[in-house]
Amino acid sequence: MVDFSLTEGDLKLMEVMRAERLRARTIAREIDRIPESQPLTDGDHPIVAGTIAPYAALAQEKAPISGLAVTECLMQTVGAPEFNTRPAPSPSGTWIVNELGSEEQKKAYGHLWLVFGVSEPIAGSDPSAMISTAKYDPETDEYVLNGEKTFISNIDLGDGVVVIVKGEPDADGKRPFYNVVLLKGTPGFEIGQPWRKLGTRYHNLGSFSMVDVRVPAMNVLGNGFVNIQTRLNVNRPVQSALGLGMCRSILDFTHGKLAEAGDEVDYAKGRSSRSFAEDKLIRMEALWEATWGVIMQCKWLEQQLGQLSKGFQTQVAMAKTMSGKATRQITQGCLELLGAEGISEEYLAEKYFRDARIIDIYEGPGEIHRLAIARKLLGYRKGELD
Amino acid sequence: MISYELTEEQQIVQSTMAEFAREELFPQTRRLDDDAAIDTELLAKLWSTGIVQMQAEAEGRSPVTNAIALEELGAADATLALAIASTLGFVGAIADQGSARQREELLPAFAGDAFQAAAVAVLEPSFGFDVSRLSAKASRDGDNYILNGRKAMVPMASQCSHFLVIAESDGVADALIVPRDTPGVSIAEPKGTLGLRALELAEVTFENVTVPAAMRLGEDKGADVQQIIDGARIALAAIMTGLGRGIRDYVIPYVKDRIVHGTPLAKKQFIAFTIADIHMDVEAMRWMTWKAAWALEERQPVTQQAQLAFTYAGQQIIFIADHGLQMLGGHGFTKGHPVELWYRNARAISVLEGAAGV
Repeated sequence: MVDFSLTEGDLKLMEVMRAERLRARTIAREIDRIPESQPLTDGDHPIVAGTIAPYAALAQEKAPISGLAVTECLMQTVGAPEFNTRPAPSPSGTWIVNELGSEEQKKAYGHLWLVFGVSEPIAGSDPSAMISTAKYDPETDEYVLNGEKTFISNIDLGDGVVVIVKGEPDADGKRPFYNVVLLKGTPGFEIGQPWRKLGTRYHNLGSFSMVDVRVPAMNVLGNGFVNIQTRLNVNRPVQSALGLGMCRSILDFTHGKLAEAGDEVDYAKGRSSRSFAEDKLIRMEALWEATWGVIMQCKWLEQQLGQLSKGFQTQVAMAKTMSGKATRQITQGCLELLGAEGISEEYLAEKYFRDARIIDIYEGPGEIHRLAIARKLLGYRKGELD
Repeated sequence: MISYELTEEQQIVQSTMAEFAREELFPQTRRLDDDAAIDTELLAKLWSTGIVQMQAEAEGRSPVTNAIALEELGAADATLALAIASTLGFVGAIADQGSARQREELLPAFAGDAFQAAAVAVLEPSFGFDVSRLSAKASRDGDNYILNGRKAMVPMASQCSHFLVIAESDGVADALIVPRDTPGVSIAEPKGTLGLRALELAEVTFENVTVPAAMRLGEDKGADVQQIIDGARIALAAIMTGLGRGIRDYVIPYVKDRIVHGTPLAKKQFIAFTIADIHMDVEAMRWMTWKAAWALEERQPVTQQAQLAFTYAGQQIIFIADHGLQMLGGHGFTKGHPVELWYRNARAISVLEGAAGV
């Protein structure tokens, strides 16, 4: 049955997340002014000391919820994260080892804290353009890695990275993708300075280079690029919901400030009775709601079909595209409505405007996802529509 | 608990309406637009689907199911979808908010096998009209109301047995049930409209019309007029969802077949990306409509959801129709394809706030 009610558990968990983010808000400006990202390495941030981590609360919740996937996204929509109050719970590289690795590989590396290295300076979201290589050396049973990776989340943190590189051409001339475990301290593996960024300054983002890096053959996880889609399918709508959370904060701030100035939204009225600001706010709320519907339908479908299904890939692409569009238009529109006072660092609105701009870029920009959606609708394959 | 799952009954309604819309309505859409009239035979067929009659029975009333049905009808012909939604607006308001006596007296006429039109009369013939600022006035005079005002764009006005007239009474909006043959009610000839032409949208004038207090919706308790407006916004959003889907499904094969500078139009990124955007909008419009219809069905606060669904659909249907037409180039401008008709319908339906219901 079509149902949009939130369960007691949903509401409780959303409140846990809201409380977390409101605590973070009290020092958000201070954190934002730190010029380079400081990854959280030794437990929770002091601002949330003694409180339950929202994701732990989700895992432990006994009251009925709309489902782990749906409820996680509901929680993300409550407000801007401000900064990382808790260490990342499950880095992607570790997840890949434990999902795709052999028993031997899981035993050796499954307990480590490994991030994920995909993007390259000249091959952002196009894996076929990657130039990082892995060449097998039969004499030592090692692979030799060369190349450069960038935009790597939390690379300063933990034990290493699962890096995607291309192997040597097979009989058909195709170069397979390898997922390779690369540990810190390996000669030739150099980590660069963290990026300084427009927004999400709290998020550690860096680069690394590989110059004749030798890793044992058992570090190659195999199974290529395809399996990573599973992780991305699960995570992209969560990032989309997080973008809506950022929008929620700037929308609420804008509603509040305009109401103080005498411009309060009345949803009952028609367009002819609205001020420009009211009309624009309603249109932005409508875009927020449109995105919410697409994200939740995607996550509901994930719950119906299972995480490994490919049956909701188009919905994932739609969730991410819609959120990218919404975060750009809503944060830009709110700052327009707030006027000159809105750009002041006295308030967080300008921070949300900067932070939210990444949503339509990371984990695939809207253009890439539109390509995937269009291929599905038009019945074209890669190579037929690019 | 959030769920997008249709009940078995809703799935049946969806597939039945889809088939009916495809087989019976779509082939008639051009003729109806040219004739600027709905033929009674087609209305009778539409009526035979039972969608309105179900609302007249307490256990059959479901705004969510209606939204699903209206999307299917709207995908074939928004005009006919609105013909049904207009009557649904009237019947739904009586079923939801009428007194026991009003329900008993009025609903049986809509539960039978013969088509029966009725409409909610909200809009008024002035530029800058807004549903929150009514010129039509109903003043209490003993056991009666005296109703004065002009209502515009009333669907199938000349065929309606009743109007539910939204007028201001003592400073607030109220709803009065007015049989069409009441003295002082006059229905103008349709002047013709940009789109939705077969609806025969017409102006209805109420001049010193005496309406017994017993015909005030909800009688002594009065009615929540906002809920009627909310229902109208949801119904229009549902039809616009269907209209958008119809355009999407029409342009996809066209752009795949049409070769431009050596490759199918569909392989140009701008076209492909626009089709992706259209698809996302249709999906989003549907979920927003369902969410608002669900709130209405569950008697939860619905005004905000209904406004957002209507605003988004009204904004994006123009994007969809405009780009759909553009993809067909010169052919899109001709009557050789239905897209120019849909373009006109899109603009018309997105401003017709109030003339429908779920």
